[in-house]
Amino acid sequence: MQNLTVALALPRQAFPFIPTGLPITVWEFREESILAKDTDADARSTLLSRALADCAAGNQAGVDAILESEGRQLLGVAQRILARRDLAEEALQDAMLQVWRKAKQFNASSGSARGWIYAILRNRCLNILRGDKRLSTLAPADLATLQESRQQIVPEEGWEILAGPSRIRDCLGGLDSQSRHAILLAHVAGYSHAEISTRQDVPLGTIKSLIRRGLQALKECLS
Amino acid sequence: MTDLSAEIIALSDEYVLGLLTPTEAALVEEIMARDLELAQRVGDLRDRLLPLDLSAAPVDLPEDFGVQVAEQLANKDQLPKMQFAGVPTEKPANQPAAPKPWLAGMLAASLAGIAVGFGVAWMQPAPAPKVVAVLMDAQGVPQAVVDDYGNDTATVRFVADVPVPADRSLQVWTLPSADMGPTSLGVLTGAGAAQLSFDDLPDPSAEQLYEVTLEPLGGSPTGRPTGPIIGKGFAAEQT
Repeated sequence: MQNLTVALALPRQAFPFIPTGLPITVWEFREESILAKDTDADARSTLLSRALADCAAGNQAGVDAILESEGRQLLGVAQRILARRDLAEEALQDAMLQVWRKAKQFNASSGSARGWIYAILRNRCLNILRGDKRLSTLAPADLATLQESRQQIVPEEGWEILAGPSRIRDCLGGLDSQSRHAILLAHVAGYSHAEISTRQDVPLGTIKSLIRRGLQALKECLS
Repeated sequence: MTDLSAEIIALSDEYVLGLLTPTEAALVEEIMARDLELAQRVGDLRDRLLPLDLSAAPVDLPEDFGVQVAEQLANKDQLPKMQFAGVPTEKPANQPAAPKPWLAGMLAASLAGIAVGFGVAWMQPAPAPKVVAVLMDAQGVPQAVVDDYGNDTATVRFVADVPVPADRSLQVWTLPSADMGPTSLGVLTGAGAAQLSFDDLPDPSAEQLYEVTLEPLGGSPTGRPTGPIIGKGFAAEQT
């Protein structure tokens, strides 16, 4: 754990956290995508909005364009939450199917296409973790490995690497450490209220109000 | 556009974080589909938090991944639906939807988790409600949720911002049976979460009617609902 903390505090250092030999790459700081220039962001935003419009019109080129632009990053998110390559791929496949089906519902006046697509993927990952009994098909040892990996996703020290050089990083930095950790456990690692309560050894009701207060402060800072 | 209560805004934040049960998420999505302001709040927080997703190390897709997805799309009609239960699939997010009478039952039918999910500190530890009713206005928009625990206790929570003039009160009612008629569960001064306790009612049953009305200050003078209905809905039994 100490090693992990040290490694995470050092930007740009890949940390090969592989508890039981599974090919899991947990951390690798990537400056380039986080520091993407505004023009890149605009181009990406145009591309993804057009891709969703294609999907809504029944044109599969939209799906290809999304995978081309975001596929590796989306799979990275799924891999981080689910810790297993097979589950991560399954989650991304399911998510693309949902993107295809729900593209008509996308409304550009309420948020970016990119945020919408990632939200669908995260939902699908959370369903796999919590909802649809998919995990019960895993062998107990695999399940233990998965849970162990999830434990490592959000470090108490060196959490900044999760936010990159962004506004959200500054605002998260302004929160008390317990709220910040709880919010990161939820968003980055897909923890539920109950899991956070267990992990932090804090009663469920306290965790819930802690997160609500933290989110409130976070939004005030961001706006 | 509905006025948004602090409760639904807090829920929508938790929605973005992925902390809601599927049923709670469906409730937020239902309100989002009718209320652009809530949808924008969700989209905004989502976009703000996106750098957290972008910090994940990218993973190369298998070579045939695009082909596999294309095959899935081609077979999509044979595949089971995977979205949250009850979330309509083919509705543009920015068009007001028709009232959905099925929604109250669907939401309430699996709303047991919401008792803890709403995060009302004084409800901890939360016993399970015997029935849950989602109360909708005439347009089918959820306004409040009643959890009835039996033993003459219930809670009410408002998921829309219900304006209450200074000279009025809200009153919560149920219809235990046709013989008993509408029976008051409690009078509220404002649309906030409240614990209700009352006397000697039979334990609630499925399909029992609950409603909230706007009444003169202090409650209905007649002991029966007299004012406009803020929301009503039928109970669903919790298993």
